[in-house]
Amino acid sequence: MSEPVTPTAEAPQRDDQPSTSPGNGGSAGAVSGADSTGSRIAKTVMLLIIFVWCLFPFVWLISTSLKQGNEALGDPNMFQGPFGIDNYRIVFGEGFLYNLRNTLVVATFTTIICVLIGAFAGYALARLPLKRKALWLSGVLAASLFPPVALIPALYEVWRALGLLNTYPGLYIPYVSFTLPLTIFILVTFFSSIPPELAEAAKVDGATPFQTFFRVVLPLAAPGVFAAAIIVFIFATNEFLIASTFAPRDLSVQTATTAVAFFTGATEFERPIGTITAACVVISVPLIIMTLIFQRRIVAGLTAGGVKG
Amino acid sequence: MAVETETPVTERQPEESQHKGMSERQLARVFVAPSVITMVVVAAFPIIFAIFLSLYAYQGRQQTGFAGLGNYIEAFTDPRFWDSVIATFVFTVASVTFEFLIGMGFALIMNRAFFGRGVIRATILIPWVIPTVISAQMWFNMFNITPGFVNSVLPFVPADFNWLGTENWAMFAIVFADVWKTAPFVALLLLAGLQTIPEDLYEAARVDGASAIQRFRSVTLPLLKPAILVALLFRTVDALRIYDLPAVMTGGAFGTETLSVLVQQFIVQTPDPGLGSAFSTLTFIVVLGVGIVFVSLLGRDLVIGEEE
Repeated sequence: MSEPVTPTAEAPQRDDQPSTSPGNGGSAGAVSGADSTGSRIAKTVMLLIIFVWCLFPFVWLISTSLKQGNEALGDPNMFQGPFGIDNYRIVFGEGFLYNLRNTLVVATFTTIICVLIGAFAGYALARLPLKRKALWLSGVLAASLFPPVALIPALYEVWRALGLLNTYPGLYIPYVSFTLPLTIFILVTFFSSIPPELAEAAKVDGATPFQTFFRVVLPLAAPGVFAAAIIVFIFATNEFLIASTFAPRDLSVQTATTAVAFFTGATEFERPIGTITAACVVISVPLIIMTLIFQRRIVAGLTAGGVKG
Repeated sequence: MAVETETPVTERQPEESQHKGMSERQLARVFVAPSVITMVVVAAFPIIFAIFLSLYAYQGRQQTGFAGLGNYIEAFTDPRFWDSVIATFVFTVASVTFEFLIGMGFALIMNRAFFGRGVIRATILIPWVIPTVISAQMWFNMFNITPGFVNSVLPFVPADFNWLGTENWAMFAIVFADVWKTAPFVALLLLAGLQTIPEDLYEAARVDGASAIQRFRSVTLPLLKPAILVALLFRTVDALRIYDLPAVMTGGAFGTETLSVLVQQFIVQTPDPGLGSAFSTLTFIVVLGVGIVFVSLLGRDLVIGEEE
């Protein structure tokens, strides 16, 4: 799991970073005369704080999910056994595989639709002659500020009338509209970074504008498209408000986040900590692995969409 | 794909006069169309339809007649509405403040890190990628009396202290869960900004005898301002929309009912499309209003930043 993130694997990837990062490394060496052992220890301690902050709660989650029996689960001590995989057996016995499948289906549909139409719009806004581009971009920005909850009362009534409650399209259609603004921002940034000379050359060679986009620009922007796709996919697996409102109970549509939120024990108000933590681990592990593998793409996408706005 | 196969056929005629296929101008319009249609149908239309719904009275899900502004009057005179406005703003101010203080600290540490930059950048994405519902369940179970992990770790806290069942402390737990998840994300955005600041500027400041704090205030902060403002805009608007954490951790009890939780209550639990739509329209105005104020401030600052 740690393979893709070792510092050695990271070193050759530095190229796409702004040239200051190697500069920083160099300066750390340059000032190392003044850089006492004390400050090195202080820096290490501060880095450890970040590691503990990010990882400790997840370690606690795993340890709790592996506890067996009410006595161990009711003990605040993380290391109080007995340990085993009973909770995981219960989770999968309750049909959690269906929830995972539903999340996968909804997230995949959202990603494909959103990235496809977002790539078209992103290219048009970045490179094609379009009147009032600034106005279009402000429109996208305004749409990204919409509170999802404001769409819910009306969509609920419309979905009820159309029979879209408790269906996959009932979920991924609104997801597409929520993720589209960010997707467009990310892709505008990536399309703008491709040298316009390449498109010009394709045009001179007799390519139609569509061929130029599809054959020349899109392959070059593939890393950006991929970054946008991962971020949209993660958003869709994360979503809860729409999922729990439009598909609250039906196991054939209910997503994993809704299932985790509504797990109950013997009574409605009891929260079975063992099965809940086990389900949380089951959802998180694939997402974390995906993040570790694609971390560079994700960071590039997030900063393209966020910092450059 | 459909566009590719269709358009060369239908656009054969104008092709002779200009280039082959669609002109760039036509292609631009075809390319923005799907996004515009989606946003109009799934974002703009529901907002307008909600305004329409909010003008009608309902009994359960049955429409009982035109209400005019009745639902809005009911909303404004309902203390529950004002409580959720307060809860939403308390949550937003507290979580965004701590996310930026901690996120800035993390970003500065990571920028100065002399080893394991790749590892730490991957680590910092983990809280971000764990779904909010899951971090909500995680922190619920850590704060909860049984097994009482937080109570057992903190000194001076009685073992039976009920964080999630006490006014103010329930909000504290929710803010804490949000800061845990989002401070690393803010750090990531700020780190990207920090890495664009040329090292020479720090060298120059060092030569001039500026202390670390002076360097931070007169080099880092001004140059990082655009990145800070953009991150602040998105974080603030996101915090105003908060739903998952209170919905899962407290169900909106003990002063943690935010506007999103309030609206959701009127769709499923106690259905009233009229009053619910009035609440949702007001939420929309509040969130978008804050967003617009931010963008107008931001626009000016970004321009000033470029002129300097």
